[in-house]
Amino acid sequence: MENKEKLLLEIKDLKTHFFTEDGVVKAVDGVDFEVYQGETLGIVGESGCGKSVTAFSILRLLDYPGKTVGGEVIFKGENLLKKTEDEMRGIRGKEIAIIFQEPMTALNPVLTVGFQISEALMMHFKIGKKEAINKSVELLKKVEIPMPEERANEYPHQLSGGMRQRAMIAMAMSCDPILLIADEPTTALDVTIQAQILDLMMALLREFNGSLIMITHDLGVIAEIADRIAIMYAGKVVEYADKKTIFHNPLHPYTLGLLTSIPRLDVEMKRLDVIPGIVPNPLHFPSGCKFNPRCRFATDRCKKEEPSLIKIEEGHLVRCWNVDKVVKEVKKGFLVGV
Amino acid sequence: MNRILRKLFSNASSLVGIALLFIFIIIAILAPLIAPPLSEDPYQIPRMSWDIAPQSPGFLMSDNIRDIYTVMGIEIKWNKAICGTAEGGYDIFYGLIWGTRTAFRIGLITVAIAALIGVFIGSISAYFGGWIDEIIMRITDIFLSFPFLVAAMVLTTILGRGLDKVMIALIVFGWMGYARLIRGSILSAKEETYVMAAKALGVKDIKIIWKHLLPNTIFPVMVQGTMNIGSMVITAAALSFLGVGAPVGYADWGQMVSFARNWIIGSPGYAGQYWYAVFYPGIFIVLFVLAWNLIGDTLRDILDPRLRGEL
Repeated sequence: MENKEKLLLEIKDLKTHFFTEDGVVKAVDGVDFEVYQGETLGIVGESGCGKSVTAFSILRLLDYPGKTVGGEVIFKGENLLKKTEDEMRGIRGKEIAIIFQEPMTALNPVLTVGFQISEALMMHFKIGKKEAINKSVELLKKVEIPMPEERANEYPHQLSGGMRQRAMIAMAMSCDPILLIADEPTTALDVTIQAQILDLMMALLREFNGSLIMITHDLGVIAEIADRIAIMYAGKVVEYADKKTIFHNPLHPYTLGLLTSIPRLDVEMKRLDVIPGIVPNPLHFPSGCKFNPRCRFATDRCKKEEPSLIKIEEGHLVRCWNVDKVVKEVKKGFLVGV
Repeated sequence: MNRILRKLFSNASSLVGIALLFIFIIIAILAPLIAPPLSEDPYQIPRMSWDIAPQSPGFLMSDNIRDIYTVMGIEIKWNKAICGTAEGGYDIFYGLIWGTRTAFRIGLITVAIAALIGVFIGSISAYFGGWIDEIIMRITDIFLSFPFLVAAMVLTTILGRGLDKVMIALIVFGWMGYARLIRGSILSAKEETYVMAAKALGVKDIKIIWKHLLPNTIFPVMVQGTMNIGSMVITAAALSFLGVGAPVGYADWGQMVSFARNWIIGSPGYAGQYWYAVFYPGIFIVLFVLAWNLIGDTLRDILDPRLRGEL
């Protein structure tokens, strides 16, 4: 994407560590990306690679033992990590909102849906209870929940999973945030509902040219909606580029592994390619490049030295010593239909 | 809420508890009708005689007392000690009736304030965690290390005689259980996603505790509180029995048992001579505590998710 668009959020070398009794868990240890106005950024990675922690760090939602120990989160030109708790409260919900993975647990079981939506409205717009309730009914209507007046008075357990996620979206969108972070918003839903929820989210965002950070491990969802993609592995961004580049010219072995492990219908395949091994224990990361034990291109250098995020071309960054080998592999005939 | 009420009324033991409590409430409300006060302070038990020894049920007001009332121009609305008199001629029936009000006051006020303090301290401690939690919980431990009755006794002695002092002592050493209870519940509840979701919407900490966490965690405290009303009344009675509680002649069940202290064994050859002096106040205390415990038990069964079959 061209840089003529307005830069909304810039994350520089973000580091969030968890200080547990067993040692320091470096859940996020060097994450860089940018989000432009009106654009969708996809953050992709396996479970436990630090995607969600990155999202929580942006809004500073983590409590002890989690702590952001380094880096910058620059939102609209200001570093959020330097703001006071009061200033942050004004930003949460109003400027940046978040949608959680599990609509079952993200709604408070003892409060009505209407109350939970109106809570943020009353706080950020300083409006009365009645007005806020009216507005939340409107919001419920907007997210296509049938009979919004009645639903507003119901408790979360009275709604279905899809409806709960719609209510979550209504909550997140209640104050028209300019940036929405969606933390695997469709993982807990069945496939038909997934598409509806994604469409709804995108439509609402387009209304006021808002940006989206989509956190997922579902490459299909990413291919659908993202403009730019950050691939994360073991707390670090290992590759960062626009969608086309990631899907057609991946430069990191992990990205390549992810792409080749997608089941395909257009090519005859005997077996699905998998990335060998498992995600390393965050307490005992391997030395050097954290991906080296699972990487088929790994050399001795990978075991000793950790690569930094290098710019290969404008807008394409990768964290790998063996980019040339991956390029050869890709040229050999690798294609993913996007 | 309807479900809770329905269960409360469909369970035999809770029905007994509710019936007992209902009777006590009626007695407390109708006290001025059941036992009209003879002096300006209704909580002062009228004396029926100057005798040290208790007088048996049916005793009529002695002449010299009657003369005093006549001289003072006070109408003698009743003159029969239905349940006899305690040591010093204090009318037992009157003490029982007005003592019910005292019991409710002690039980409800001490438990309400102690629970309030406990919930406040415990929720702050659990929600903010870290060194705040550490300090608050160590202070709680210090308070817990005092034996409850001894600590309350010492404090009442220091503060001086009087029911308000008793209540202060009971509150000062009675909040820790609630603090620990709510802390435990909030520690687990605050890890729920909905708490983070509320935080992500910009909701203030104090509002998260009040609106999101407490409604999810307050039930165990309610059960504990209900059960504690009885034990608070018992402890207050114990303090009165030991002579550091209510002032002499105050309508308080504990004090009435204390009046019976020297007469429990009766007279030689007739052990049960003064049975009424200890029996009536004793049975009132027992029934009052029983009522609250039965209700508390049922509440616990209803609200316990394990017994409810949800876990």
